[in-house]
Amino acid sequence: MTRLRSGIGPTSWILCLAVCASVAGAQTVDWPSERPPRPLEARRATFPPYEVRTLANGLQVIAVLHHEQPAVNMRMLVRAGSVQDLQGKAGVATLAAALLDQGTTSKSAEQIADQIDFIGGALGTGSGSDLSFVEVVVMKDSFNVGMDMLADIVRRPAFAPEEIERQKEQATSSLQVNREDPAYVAGAVIDRLVYGLHPYGLPSTGTPETLAAITQADLQAYHARNFVPNNMILGIVGDVSGDEAFAAAERVFGGWPAAELTPLRIVDSPPPTRRIVIIDNPDAVQTGIRVGQLGIPRNSPDYLAFDLAVKILGGEGANRLQRVLRSERGLTYGASADLAARKRAGDFVAETDTRTETTGEALRLMVDEFSTLRRERVSQRELSDAQAYLAGTFPLTIETPNDIATQVLNVVFYELPIEEIGTFSERVQQVTPGDIQRVAQRYVLPDRLSIVLVGNAAAFVPQLRRVGFSEFEIIPIDELDLMSATLRRPVLQGGSTDAPVDGPLLARQ
Amino acid sequence: MSDTTSPPVSLRVAVCAVMSVLALVMLAPVQAAVPPPKLQYQITTLPNGLRVILSEDHSTPIVHVSVWYHVGSKNEREGRTGFAHLFEHMMFKGSKNVEPEGHISLVAGVGGRSNAYTTEDVTVFWQTLPSQHLPLALWLEADRMATLRVDEAAFQREREVVKEERRLRIESQPYGRLSEIIYDTAFVTHPYKHPTIGSMADLEAASIADVRDFHRTYYVPENTTVTIVGDFDSAEALQLVTQYLGRVPKATRPVPREIPREPQMMEERRAVVEEAWPLPAVVVAFHIPYDGHPDSYPLHITSKILSDGQSARLIRELVYTRRLCLSAFGAGNLIEDPNLFYAVCIVQPGQSPEAAEAALIDEFEKLKDEGVTLQEVERAQNQFARDYILSRGSNEDKAMHLAHAAVIHSDVTTADGEFDIFMSTTAVDVQRVARSYFNESNRVVLHVLPRGARP
Repeated sequence: MTRLRSGIGPTSWILCLAVCASVAGAQTVDWPSERPPRPLEARRATFPPYEVRTLANGLQVIAVLHHEQPAVNMRMLVRAGSVQDLQGKAGVATLAAALLDQGTTSKSAEQIADQIDFIGGALGTGSGSDLSFVEVVVMKDSFNVGMDMLADIVRRPAFAPEEIERQKEQATSSLQVNREDPAYVAGAVIDRLVYGLHPYGLPSTGTPETLAAITQADLQAYHARNFVPNNMILGIVGDVSGDEAFAAAERVFGGWPAAELTPLRIVDSPPPTRRIVIIDNPDAVQTGIRVGQLGIPRNSPDYLAFDLAVKILGGEGANRLQRVLRSERGLTYGASADLAARKRAGDFVAETDTRTETTGEALRLMVDEFSTLRRERVSQRELSDAQAYLAGTFPLTIETPNDIATQVLNVVFYELPIEEIGTFSERVQQVTPGDIQRVAQRYVLPDRLSIVLVGNAAAFVPQLRRVGFSEFEIIPIDELDLMSATLRRPVLQGGSTDAPVDGPLLARQ
Repeated sequence: MSDTTSPPVSLRVAVCAVMSVLALVMLAPVQAAVPPPKLQYQITTLPNGLRVILSEDHSTPIVHVSVWYHVGSKNEREGRTGFAHLFEHMMFKGSKNVEPEGHISLVAGVGGRSNAYTTEDVTVFWQTLPSQHLPLALWLEADRMATLRVDEAAFQREREVVKEERRLRIESQPYGRLSEIIYDTAFVTHPYKHPTIGSMADLEAASIADVRDFHRTYYVPENTTVTIVGDFDSAEALQLVTQYLGRVPKATRPVPREIPREPQMMEERRAVVEEAWPLPAVVVAFHIPYDGHPDSYPLHITSKILSDGQSARLIRELVYTRRLCLSAFGAGNLIEDPNLFYAVCIVQPGQSPEAAEAALIDEFEKLKDEGVTLQEVERAQNQFARDYILSRGSNEDKAMHLAHAAVIHSDVTTADGEFDIFMSTTAVDVQRVARSYFNESNRVVLHVLPRGARP
């Protein structure tokens, strides 16, 4: 989610007419009064060429050629992530991804680091709920070296016991830091409320307890099951020829046999229910607010219309929340809403952060905007503005080879029709106010929103009551347990909870 | 300041004879295996003093326009910290022909993006939009440069927004206040002592008179560099710039440039403070020269040797091997005025801040006593070449390099000219600058402990 440094959206500056005498043009007296200038002649933006091929073993390879800078970027996407985590072992996919470049069957973690750093390359691994990735960037003269490294890391990670311990320690310490980050806590809790115990609701980073439970065998099994060529997409982007790209892919991945994929069984998300959870941190000076609901998966036919509806609520180029909360009232640095339409389900969540004293006011305004979106038909003008942005911004989204590759990889990953890439602007322009109203009424249920507030509960609870929110659960931040159905853990007996070095999270292991 | 294209004359300082001979033999003519392309541009100054840099790139029908005002938080006066950034927000509050918030919505309405940011040295406004809308971008920027609306109610609201920004980015984030604490400890008189976001008290004290005065003083053509990169014809673009920005009147007084200098430290400075953070942070810092100083290039190479990549010294030794730090880095903050080189260790549970301090200081001592290997220098140069290439991908990236060279170095040719300097930096240079700056009397040591942990 892009954060804006400065304001967007119109504001009601009518408010200031009273002081307009003091609205001095700062310096130039004879400046002309005029309308914005006309545009120059437009040049049509077309999606740059790319090529998609599938190897005999099922590996999909996408090549985007670009010769301005002498670099090549290789991205391997694996269709596996935290949804594949085993029961009680949240964090397997994240830990496995972190370990991919920490040693293979033929090279140690140190040798891999020495090699990529010395050639002036970069290497990154990671995972989300539905995918994992390895990304390698090298200068063009190291293309083959980079491809060899990529294949080694993807196909033959060692998952050595000492590296597992090291990464667990890093992950556990990071969780300890994350707990002090209101954005992390609010995000993790809203996911739990929206998705329940569906894997999208569980923390992909794991918890100290689930991390401790993960074994080398779990990691090896996860890798063997999911890291197979017919479950992967490779993007090769940059200063190589198409022939070089496909030949290299064939050379390092062609001999890797396909394997049968086991279908995934996952629990459903609960139906939307109004639930307000306050995570209490008495030291907080600001309250993190998240308001959300179950939405739609990426391949839903309603995706485009609903995406526009959520953008009108709180997205780039529109954003009622930003106007109401920031421009008109100065309650926050930023307010936004985001549609996360994922592979198997989706959500939409509005977020803001406001000082403790204005928590009730901000929450009321946010929930009211959900109601307005459902109740009132958007004007053609407001929709047109949002469409103009979304359609007009197309040339900005194809500037760099990585931008281009991301769009192609997205379409392939979500198994959407590949023609969609070229017709984006036209499809955006076809959405009508009636479409927006239909999807808003179907998916936005203001009386069944999940709400999370992270902040100083004692200071803002009376405000909530004043603006009509009377039922909520308060969970002290030290008792939060994301794996528990109640979100609470039993209070520890006897342990000091404020020991600075051996903190409570580690002491439990 | 424009002497940055001459190579650092460092090989004379041959402290370790064997090392330096090796360095000369093996490293003097190093070239990156894949030379990066040069930027193509032209630079012009309009009669009102405004500088214009134009760089055509027709690969995509878009254009990026940035406006750099050479004013940042180091130009703030006592008691008004945070004002340059607060003022940046006010630039979105309308002008003679543009409604409040109209700048961003007009740009969004044609499919463009716009925003702004403030640093210690500059305030930058930018927009990227489909290229046919270049006139709109220039017209909008000219309107607010010449006729900013200054409105009390909008000012009051925006001040609350900035206070929320401070709470969000600085006060609510673990380690969000770390750099604030480092700079407050390390600096005495130079305004780098203060964070760009400012203090709550100073934000509260700012007035609408300050807004008018700041605009009149710093938002004038001779303090402004406009950079346009993308799909346009240079002659046509220059005509448009002249038409819209050329009519902004010249300033009536010179832009103030005097900034208090930081006195040299005479002895080590130490501090222990407490914050509500989960793990201790230990910082070891040294004062260093400005960006573009001959010593800044070896210092940048030193940053890479210490913390770029998993094989870099601090990461390999302190994070990977000894498991002393959850994360660690050490880097020079090379900006317009002399600043700091600092290393940070976020201390792992079960490890002590004292051990972390000793380990960080030891790494600096090793740079002085043993120097660095030729292989490390070559690695750092390859990483530099990578950064150089990867950071010139988009129009915005290119505009950033061009404007930075013109404004901070007062020499646009450094946008390309520094590549060869980095490629000819040697292990001897790295050791020499380590010995110049990483000394006890120039050192600041800071322990930030979780609340209640102070002995």
